[in-house]
Amino acid sequence: MHTKLTIRTPEAALAQVLDALEHELVEATDEEILEAARDLGMNPMMKGSAAFLGLHYPQAMQWADFFESEELKTELLRSVNLRAETETAPKPKAQRLKRADPAERKNSIDK
Amino acid sequence: MNAVTDAMPQIPQLKDNRILIPSETALALNLIGRMDLLRLKAIARLHARGLPPDITWDDLLQEAFTRVLVGSRRKPPDVAMVPFLAGVMRSLRAQHWQRLCRGAASPATVRIDHPRDLSAEAALCDAASDPEQSLIAQERLDAIYGLFAGDSVVLRIIAGLAEGRSAAQIRAAMKISKTDYASARKRMRRALLREGLTCTQN
Repeated sequence: MHTKLTIRTPEAALAQVLDALEHELVEATDEEILEAARDLGMNPMMKGSAAFLGLHYPQAMQWADFFESEELKTELLRSVNLRAETETAPKPKAQRLKRADPAERKNSIDK
Repeated sequence: MNAVTDAMPQIPQLKDNRILIPSETALALNLIGRMDLLRLKAIARLHARGLPPDITWDDLLQEAFTRVLVGSRRKPPDVAMVPFLAGVMRSLRAQHWQRLCRGAASPATVRIDHPRDLSAEAALCDAASDPEQSLIAQERLDAIYGLFAGDSVVLRIIAGLAEGRSAAQIRAAMKISKTDYASARKRMRRALLREGLTCTQN
């Protein structure tokens, strides 16, 4: 009698495992999700919880998200204006430190 | 001129100019709840372990939502939304893997209005897979085993699943009771959820 030999490629094995584990996650209860979140120090009931990271905004920010945003343009314009204002504003005179009187220095506690 | 524009209905100003992404749209339409969204995040992160490196878990999840929202995937009335979306992600994973198998030889891309489930074709592709893909798959498989390092029962269950065995076959082979098997599954779910709720790279 011959033993039936099954040769599985890693790809097929990976697909089998992923499908089986997906089934486990589909069946996970809300309590199990909350418990796992608590393990991570997350509270999904809280607004803006870290558990929702990547779900409300695209996780990977693109360069365009920064360089084509109105907020960035406004911020850049504001910083340029601020720099221009500080450069044109008259410089305040530097205050000279008043030297302590030699008599006072003699009585100093450091001495 | 001003009188004409004054008479026209004015479009109310939006509070912010943010565009809703598909998952938020589904949430706003009450297609899913917030806990379902977390469940789907964990599933997407799991399936991302079987994706080519150029696709991330959030790409997969938003793509699945998009297909449901645009109507290219229609949920049967007797199927709940979470298992349905999980199935869409599974199918997309197979399509992306198929694209990787074809490589540069075929210019075919995964189309949003493509109704066919290519998982069967992807399975056929396994027989002639190249060593690089096998290596990637083996590394991903090892990473999954790594999630359960130290739990020998769970590791043996996963080894059984990788061989395509059913729960009853695994229990018989491992000689464990239904209760022990159920508690191992619970530990497995906990570890998967813990990994699935984070945003670290797999």
